[in-house]
Amino acid sequence: MNQRFENDEEMLTRGLEALASEMKDLEAPEHVEVKLLEAFRARKVVPISTRRWTSQRYWLAAVAAVLLIAMSVVALRWRSAEKPAETFAGRREPETPKVVPPQEETTRPVEYQAVNQPSPRSYPKRIRHPRVPSSENPRVASTRPSEIATDFIPLRYMNVANLQEGGQIVRVEVPRSALANFGLPVNMDRYNERVKADVLYGVDGLAHAIRFVK
Amino acid sequence: MKSDLNDSELLRSMLAGDEEALTVLYRRRQGAVYRFALQMSGSKTVAEDVTQEVFLFLMRDGQVFDPAKGSVSAFLLGVARNYVLRRMRVEQQLMPLGDDVDDDVPVLHASNDLCPLEDLTRAETIESVRRAVLSLPSKYREVVVLCELQDISYGETAEILGCAIGTVRSRLHRARALLLAKLRPAAEAEDADSATVKSARCFA
Repeated sequence: MNQRFENDEEMLTRGLEALASEMKDLEAPEHVEVKLLEAFRARKVVPISTRRWTSQRYWLAAVAAVLLIAMSVVALRWRSAEKPAETFAGRREPETPKVVPPQEETTRPVEYQAVNQPSPRSYPKRIRHPRVPSSENPRVASTRPSEIATDFIPLRYMNVANLQEGGQIVRVEVPRSALANFGLPVNMDRYNERVKADVLYGVDGLAHAIRFVK
Repeated sequence: MKSDLNDSELLRSMLAGDEEALTVLYRRRQGAVYRFALQMSGSKTVAEDVTQEVFLFLMRDGQVFDPAKGSVSAFLLGVARNYVLRRMRVEQQLMPLGDDVDDDVPVLHASNDLCPLEDLTRAETIESVRRAVLSLPSKYREVVVLCELQDISYGETAEILGCAIGTVRSRLHRARALLLAKLRPAAEAEDADSATVKSARCFA
């Protein structure tokens, strides 16, 4: 058994040696060398000095990129500092619902003037749509810079659609207790005092809505 | 004279743009690379392509060679190994070869010292060994090619393959066992054929 194994091993070794000796003189064909030399000439191997220049170019590109970014940041800041001034100057008054003739300054409802002063940072400009007043949510508004007023509250026999027809506003004084009729809070200590109110009369001569002014 | 320079110096000169250095280095090392690729793949076409790719790689990325890690020769064979394995993966030639005759089989020249019968026997032996080597799994084939056919030391083979010397030894041992297992049936069949002929002659 051992003898056979040794014979096999010997046979294998001889076979491998024979194969190696058969192939020991094999070489790549000539055309491979020709192609390689052509590739070498076409490629123009980059010398080390050029490689240094390449790395310098990378540095230059990096510096240029940093400068560009810095300039962009400065330009953006300069522009954002300039914008609010332009916006403030060019900003118009917010549009108001056209329920009052424009010639009556006292009756012109300028809503939210006190709370919506254009700030230097308010950008971009927002478009406001005319609001429909509701009795459930009487929001505070002002007719003049010194006055604060609620929205118009429709009277019981009127509906919201009638308020769109326009009309005339008359400033009146009503008892403070009238606030309670419209669901507004009443200070009981000043129960007997009067409070200013604007009554909106429609084209039909009837009172359509009321708002309270402070 | 460029031919007096060692491989590392030639490589450095080549990378600096010296064409003659490339020529000398190529002529010195292309044979080993080509034979390795041929013995690994069994295809002359693949061997030519791999040889070309290896030296193109050397021209392009030769600066990655580190003399501290090994010789230029080992480096080239390592690159060749990678290209061969990649090529074989692509061509799905990792399966053991069957009985189909490869049209790229290198021509084996008969020796002039032997008589025609011995010559034929030797050629058959070489062919069967070549087929057996090609049928080995690649990790065994490469150690057989490097250690047995290229006569490279275990240490250098370990450098080329990127493994320990012990791994090379164990793979070679296993590879030889596989080769014996593949070659034994053929030898037995040959013995049986000759016995049949003998008995037929006696019977006649």
